[in-house]
Amino acid sequence: MGRRVVITACAAITPIGRSREEILHNLKHGVSGVKVLREDDVLTPYIHSKVFGTVDYPIAYDFKRQHRKTMGPVAYYACQVAKEVIEAAGLDETFITSGRLGVAFGSTHGSPTVQRGIYKTLFSGARSGFSSIGAVDYLKSMVHTTAVNITKMFGITGRVISSSTACTTSSQSIGYGYEMVKYGMQDAMICGGADEYDTTTVAVFDNLLACSTAFNETPHLTPRPFDEKRDGLVVGEGAGAVLLEEYERARKRGATILAEVIGFSCNNNGGDLILPNINGIAETMRLALQDARIPADAVDLISAHATGTRMGDVIEAQAIHAVYGNRPPVVGLKSYMGHTMGSCGAIETIIATYLMDEGYIVPTLNLEEVDERCAMIRHVQAVRDCPMRIAAIQNFAFGGVNTSLIIKKWQDH
Amino acid sequence: MTRAEIEAKILEFFRKEFEIENPGMDDDLRKIHGFDSIDAIELLLEIETLLDSELTQEEKKRAMDIRTLNQILDYTVSLAKARQT
Repeated sequence: MGRRVVITACAAITPIGRSREEILHNLKHGVSGVKVLREDDVLTPYIHSKVFGTVDYPIAYDFKRQHRKTMGPVAYYACQVAKEVIEAAGLDETFITSGRLGVAFGSTHGSPTVQRGIYKTLFSGARSGFSSIGAVDYLKSMVHTTAVNITKMFGITGRVISSSTACTTSSQSIGYGYEMVKYGMQDAMICGGADEYDTTTVAVFDNLLACSTAFNETPHLTPRPFDEKRDGLVVGEGAGAVLLEEYERARKRGATILAEVIGFSCNNNGGDLILPNINGIAETMRLALQDARIPADAVDLISAHATGTRMGDVIEAQAIHAVYGNRPPVVGLKSYMGHTMGSCGAIETIIATYLMDEGYIVPTLNLEEVDERCAMIRHVQAVRDCPMRIAAIQNFAFGGVNTSLIIKKWQDH
Repeated sequence: MTRAEIEAKILEFFRKEFEIENPGMDDDLRKIHGFDSIDAIELLLEIETLLDSELTQEEKKRAMDIRTLNQILDYTVSLAKARQT
């Protein structure tokens, strides 16, 4: 048995808003954050999918230059949400710099915007004789840029974990952060992930015929997880952060507790790096339940990975049915904002926390006619009141990586 | 390029890129303005652009002890002269 781990703050930047109120409003009213893919004058002319989960509201670029100078857009997103959780939790300076607070944060690529600038310099021949890659370009584009810009900005001296496993990046961040606190290596962890606007990722999925292309004129109608007319995923951008704290510490300092993390699992399919694998996915669900020491029927809500691909959704539905049967409601939150890649696990965990606290479930957007091959699980197609105690958040990534997080609604014990 | 021209360009670079306005010519840039090793490397790249010439490793190493704007100007002027001869 390890120590209890609770969530004491969360913050998100999503295509459907930033604040809890705004995100919940858009979920309840079926507002999509999927918009027309912005032109980049490099790849977009060749990409068939013209939709993107877009953060199109202004975010103040207000950090001091001393901190800003090593941040690309992705690190900037990460530091914004990290700042918000530190402020919301009310962590004091002494603890932040004590070495007992760590960071588990990642992104898919570092900053692709900065990487693109480097390649442009190299391939255009501009300043070819000089050291034309800026000193900060590496710091902005390296894969752990989000995590270490957070440590730099706040003077955090504890452990750093920077998973970069595409779609499971931030679910791993939360899971590994949970284990750090549970087993006493750290007393608190800032966990999450971020990804910025990036057409490289869109192009990769587009090449694999995995992107949605049939709704280019009506972006809000895609993605359509589990729906008969689904035609692929929609890449998006965003960030999410949660603060995990050891329960006794949080209680003693009078922190507001939002939820408890009670289980985590991560495994690999041990084979194909692209195709989803029912055995691997089902096994990660079972392992998380074992870690949480609960039976499958204790789970009241499943946040499915549900990207909206033809095959992935079927495999996931079959795996959910194999482990959970058709009892718990299943929602695919990517239907509202697309696949925010490195941030999706954190954003979905945050939303599951909100929904458990509110006591209602939102539907999978655009799920009009359930594909009969996905029909064996309990889909949500309308907003409805539903008291919930436990939610499972599952994510699966290229490379055959699977995760499941189990969180419990906080009630005064 | 005269020392005055170099000074104007360096000060403009400090204002625009480092957000350091009107620094004293003998200010310790590290202590007073938080100028660090990353900034030093960025400045060297700017000096290369200014001189339209790549600096050697030895020339770059000479810059590591620089602390003030006057020292930066001395350094840049000496590089410019070396390239004229």
